[in-house]
Amino acid sequence: MSKMSTPLGRDGLTRRQFAAGSAALAALAVSPARGQEKFPSKTIEVVTHAGVGGGTDITARMMMVHAPKSFGTELAVVNRVGGSGAAALAYAASKPRDGHTIMLITQTHLLTIMQGKAPVKYDEIVALARATDDPQILMVGKNSPFKTAQEMIAAGKTKPLKVGATQLGGVDHLATFGFAKKAGMQQPTVVPFRGGGDIVINAVSGNVDVGILNYAEAESQIKSGDVRALLTLAPKRLGPLPNVPSSKDLGIDANYSTVRGFITLKGVPDDRLQALEKGLIEAMKGQMYATYIETSGQSPDSVVGRAPWQSQLDAFYGEGQAALKELGLLK
Amino acid sequence: MDAFLSGMAILVDPYMLFLVVAGTVLGIVVGALPGISGSTTTALLLPLTVTMTPVAAIAFLGAIYCAANFGGSITAILINTPGDPSASATAFDGYPLAARGEAGRALGISAVASAIGGIFSVFVLIVAAPLLARMAYQFGPPEYFALAVFGLSMVAAIGGDSPVKNLLAATFGVLLATIGLDLTTGVERFTFGIYALSDGIEFIPVLIGLFAIAEMLEQAAQRSTVQDYVRLKTVQLPSLADFRKCAKAIMLSSGIGTFIGALPALGATTAALICYNETKRWSKHKEEFGRGAIEGVAGPEAANNAAVGGAMVPTLALGIPGSTTTAIILAGLIVQGVRPGPHLFTEQPTLLYVVFSSMFAANLLYLVMGLGAAKLFARIALVPAAFLWPSVFVLSVVGAYAPNQSMADVWTMLVFGVLGFALRRFGFSPAPLIMGLVLGKLVEETLKQSLLIFDHNWLMFLSRPVVVVLFLITAAGLSMPLMARVWRRLRS
Repeated sequence: MSKMSTPLGRDGLTRRQFAAGSAALAALAVSPARGQEKFPSKTIEVVTHAGVGGGTDITARMMMVHAPKSFGTELAVVNRVGGSGAAALAYAASKPRDGHTIMLITQTHLLTIMQGKAPVKYDEIVALARATDDPQILMVGKNSPFKTAQEMIAAGKTKPLKVGATQLGGVDHLATFGFAKKAGMQQPTVVPFRGGGDIVINAVSGNVDVGILNYAEAESQIKSGDVRALLTLAPKRLGPLPNVPSSKDLGIDANYSTVRGFITLKGVPDDRLQALEKGLIEAMKGQMYATYIETSGQSPDSVVGRAPWQSQLDAFYGEGQAALKELGLLK
Repeated sequence: MDAFLSGMAILVDPYMLFLVVAGTVLGIVVGALPGISGSTTTALLLPLTVTMTPVAAIAFLGAIYCAANFGGSITAILINTPGDPSASATAFDGYPLAARGEAGRALGISAVASAIGGIFSVFVLIVAAPLLARMAYQFGPPEYFALAVFGLSMVAAIGGDSPVKNLLAATFGVLLATIGLDLTTGVERFTFGIYALSDGIEFIPVLIGLFAIAEMLEQAAQRSTVQDYVRLKTVQLPSLADFRKCAKAIMLSSGIGTFIGALPALGATTAALICYNETKRWSKHKEEFGRGAIEGVAGPEAANNAAVGGAMVPTLALGIPGSTTTAIILAGLIVQGVRPGPHLFTEQPTLLYVVFSSMFAANLLYLVMGLGAAKLFARIALVPAAFLWPSVFVLSVVGAYAPNQSMADVWTMLVFGVLGFALRRFGFSPAPLIMGLVLGKLVEETLKQSLLIFDHNWLMFLSRPVVVVLFLITAAGLSMPLMARVWRRLRS
């Protein structure tokens, strides 16, 4: 186990701190009143629902490369896997609301909250900064009869298409549902898969008519011509796909993306929220993070501050709730 | 050729050689420790590799990946605790061998079989990757369904002596696989509102419980016996006769393991389990299996290491990872600005040969280290039970807790430990249970996906050539014992 306590094995350090237990906690309890305390005064925990090596976990670790410098303190990833984010939310809710616990969340957390499966209400979520914004793109295999988005939409009006997506009731499913509705198509049959790779393979082999994917998931296949991107579900075209129309080009108001971003729970003083926002954005301006954003196919303006990130969360929560109700997945 | 030479040249560069050796040693250690797998290690070291050159990063990660799969077999054999899930099939016969005082023999054959399987798959990777990768496109849900049915078709024969008990254990495994969020309906099943169960039952704590904790309870239930006679044989390495006996199993499993590894949705654990079945099916000494068959170690070990090279095939040729660890290696490459995909083979052949040579070297290195240290490791089997098993218990608790930092996983492990002990007392084997757990989820999910694709028309399965072939092989395998009996009666 000793090798895990290298400076990079932050989980190892975290665990040891837990093991150190009561002594450390007692020392913290007698620290001076919070008002005069400089912030941050100890390690900031970044809670994620992903296991070590999961996509969200990697995003957190990439942000953390430059974070110690911008915050003047160490950060540690805490992985609380389970319950589609519920375990992570429960962990964060159990910590003091002093700004030393932040979360990296995805839309999945909001869906979990909607279904009443987490011990946190939506109005307790306080946005800090968005980390990644990955527009969803409709793609087909090279042998597909659909050459353009218009052809696909026309076909989808006469019969329900089969769309490869991740989990039922998840982000992909809601995007598929929302797009079909706004484009006037029949509701597609969603074939759920475990991950983007499976969707790509089944789009290429024609097992599904359309796959709903992020750019990076199919970049190799787009370049080799095995997969054709038809439509970017965003207000503007994606940099690497200049010839693929955006939903705005087609006059369809259907914008969906996979987002990750930092939040904390309500109760953290406003000056600390500002400090966290500033520190996070600074850390994500670092070279390492910028490269990560660029190479993983995220939208270049992924990183935004509190206000736009909060309104994006609010919009998703509102639309998601309505869609889940319509799909019969929410009472 | 230039690319090949410059790829191989990394092995004479002291810095690169150091990275490969360090990766191999680290891989063996983390592979052997239950709960810390190759994937956890590569994930934690990912930020470190970002500062290296792409060539160094992939050589380092590749070496860890290869060696970790071998390392898992060491603890599986010595203390009945698979250090890595892919080594669970190795424990079926490896531990009985060690318990009989033949730890050295089991460890030796594991090192050799692992290295042969690993090196075979690396050769396949370099020669046939683009071709094999196209095969992944031929495998949709219906094909995976047929493959999983084939894997499950042998459960009655795997493990204990009673086919009925094996079937019951397998059914229980399939039932356990239904716990958690159902992919195709989005509904949680049998979770009782417990977060830890919503993503399904965690595999690692189940394994540690069924093997290590159950064995500890078993040991505690026995009177202590002095086993002096085993000392002589414990540190002996396998004989030439052993290798000859295992040659067929190693060849068969290297091939099947590479193939299964190359399928993006299946990994080393499934490869090892299916190859354990196949090794037994084609063995002349079926009765030895489960009681310490040397072939029962060689087969799964060749398979799970072959699956490593196999898993690199779709990762490099399609940019679609074939396992958790390759997903992390892929992330590492992408951050470095290397985008794997069909074009990689024409645009950056040097990088491919680096992957090839570092994995090749790692396989050779752990063979040498494994054989060299087998005698040393084997002495663990001589540690008196009163000292050994309490340490295994501590290791098990840490191992179950570590991956998710979750106490729920520790409880899962303890429950399955008691369950495993009880099952064994009533003559059930853990092998069919694990088969059911691993393949049950696959059977259910792929069946539901297939039916969505086929608009719920079952006959459509017969429109897929690969499915038909796999179904025919399954039918042949199931009817083989019956045919053999009829044939014998006709002859006499």
